[in-house]
Amino acid sequence: MGHEELFEQLKQAIIDQDQDAVMSSVNAALDAGVEPKTIIDQGLLPGLNVIGEQFECEDIFLPELMQSALAFQAAMAVLEPKIKESGNAGPKKGKIVLGTVKGDLHSIGKNILKLLFETSGFEVWDLGIDVDLFKFVDKANEVDADVIAMSALLTTTLVGQRDVIEALKGQGTRDKYKIIIGGGATTQAWADTIGADGWAGTAYEAVNLATKLVS
Amino acid sequence: MTRMGYAELLTPQEVRRTHEASLEVLEAVGIAAHNPKAREVFAKHGCKVDSETGVVRFPAEIIETYRVMAPPSFTFRGRDPRFDRTIPDDGPIVVTGSSAPNVVDPITGVERRATSADIATIAHLINELPGFDVFSISTLADDAPEGQFSLSRFYPALKNCLKPVRSNTPNMDDLRQVIALGELIVGGADAYRERPIINHHYCPMVSPLSMDVDSTEAVMWLTERGLPVYTTVVPNAGLTAPMTMMGALIVGNAEFLAITAFQQMIKEGTPVIYASLPTVADMRTGAYAPGAIETGMLLAAQAQLSRFYNVPAGGYIGLTNAHSNDAQSGFETGMNTVLGVSAGATLLNMGGLFSSLMAFDFAKCVIDNEIALMDKRVWRGLEFSEDNLALAEIAAVGPGGSYMGRQHTKQRMKTTAVLPRMANREMRGQWEEAGRLDINARALAEARRILAEPNLAVWDAATDAAIRDHFAGIVAGDAIPLEAPQV
Repeated sequence: MGHEELFEQLKQAIIDQDQDAVMSSVNAALDAGVEPKTIIDQGLLPGLNVIGEQFECEDIFLPELMQSALAFQAAMAVLEPKIKESGNAGPKKGKIVLGTVKGDLHSIGKNILKLLFETSGFEVWDLGIDVDLFKFVDKANEVDADVIAMSALLTTTLVGQRDVIEALKGQGTRDKYKIIIGGGATTQAWADTIGADGWAGTAYEAVNLATKLVS
Repeated sequence: MTRMGYAELLTPQEVRRTHEASLEVLEAVGIAAHNPKAREVFAKHGCKVDSETGVVRFPAEIIETYRVMAPPSFTFRGRDPRFDRTIPDDGPIVVTGSSAPNVVDPITGVERRATSADIATIAHLINELPGFDVFSISTLADDAPEGQFSLSRFYPALKNCLKPVRSNTPNMDDLRQVIALGELIVGGADAYRERPIINHHYCPMVSPLSMDVDSTEAVMWLTERGLPVYTTVVPNAGLTAPMTMMGALIVGNAEFLAITAFQQMIKEGTPVIYASLPTVADMRTGAYAPGAIETGMLLAAQAQLSRFYNVPAGGYIGLTNAHSNDAQSGFETGMNTVLGVSAGATLLNMGGLFSSLMAFDFAKCVIDNEIALMDKRVWRGLEFSEDNLALAEIAAVGPGGSYMGRQHTKQRMKTTAVLPRMANREMRGQWEEAGRLDINARALAEARRILAEPNLAVWDAATDAAIRDHFAGIVAGDAIPLEAPQV
């Protein structure tokens, strides 16, 4: 099988949301001597681009987007160590510290976002749920994050997002980071009120937003 | 007179199987309890607690033992006992939707962050609108001083409303502060134990099958003291529950059984409500869809299950995803609440919110009051009785006659049908002459008319002084005069 054909197979497997096909195509490409980075750039990412477009025009639904992203992540689990071994790791898009704010235990939207961030090439530190403001501040400082992304589903926990921004201001480090917020209880107006750099209503939009902010 | 029969979406066999399936879930899958004190309660009462994962598994007989301890009714108390309401007997009782961060300003029409003054204004409106029974504090208070997040909501709400006030608190300090406020209002701790006028509500169950830390703590504390508290389960099919109606029902039902058993373990005979906010997520984007018809269907099924458990039922129903008083807002609130009421739900958390619980709107609140009156009319049913067959009247009027001028008609003309004030029944010409006002304009005018009147619900100066003395820096808690000139 020629390389072009292998790339087409990889792309189609992602579009088909078929993890088994993605993995067998990845292995076939590796066996044929294709560089891991090329597998990603020429096969998997073109597939994800199609999936993204299909999602935006509602040809496919969120569970389908998720399955493609999960298949991509499974492929990356194999490919990434090889790329690191070869010393050819390209730069990540950026570093994101992610979590659901204090008092709020809702994780499902945040986990979808984590998956999509990683799929689109960000390095993500997921602090989980019920995250204390200092954990956000300390982790962002420790990993030299580009973006802090905070979720809140409950209206009563919203203020946790403001608290983090205020704490960063207090430290004089607010401008080191792009801060984005989301979750069921949030709005663009709230983001403006607390001085966040951006708001997204869906995980998909959040990825576009973060990409824009770090580029 | 017989009341109406309930609309039922499940057969008795299906109800039984749903119950058994929920027990299977609790026994095999269990509940992840994040609060260590809650895990202790479960372990002490015969549940199997995995100390590593925090997962609690419930032998079926444990659930069966504790769930039957829950009594069949729940009482909401107001500042004025005339407004006390017990469900199911006084049902359906209508409760406002709660804790929206924003309000649509009644003067400018612009959505903005809500303040304690908005809460005072809304409390006045709810006090006057006859369709509403309980004021669940509609918004947050963005102007809350440090350390007074909940006080800044409960104080203006209680000050301006005689009906039962309901809400939550984010932590134990806030909860204690709010109880202290209640004690000051009724004249001391002993009087408060007699008449606890604050009705607490929490969502300690986080779908799927988890229990949080802070709300669980509050529910434990209140249950131990015998203070009124109930909880809501919130399964969201496709995200936090399976993508079938029955799967979502079972996840929610298992959660209801777990929290009910929990409260009975703490204090036998604690009143509960089978309250829920069930949804099916919009799989195109994952969007939250509380206004969808599936919410009404699931809530109807839960009302049916509540009769199996012999506890009152209801919840958040009649919410809308719409952002203005358009047709979507009306049909989502209307269709879902009618479905819930027909199925026997006696608590409807429905009033005043747009945008999936994100913003309070005064006109929406007035429209929902009218929908609530219609829901209550549905509940009364056809009022079947020999007398109501009106056979003598039919004979007296005879073929071709008119019932309009009859004494029989006159005696019943104000009670047989709802007489709406917002729904328009004029001829088109009259409506055009009156300025072609849509329901939003009519409802906003009605809200402003009510709010221009003095609020007789506000308590006396001595009570207020005692409260203000006790809580340094507390918000004013007064309504915004709506006749203020436009800015």
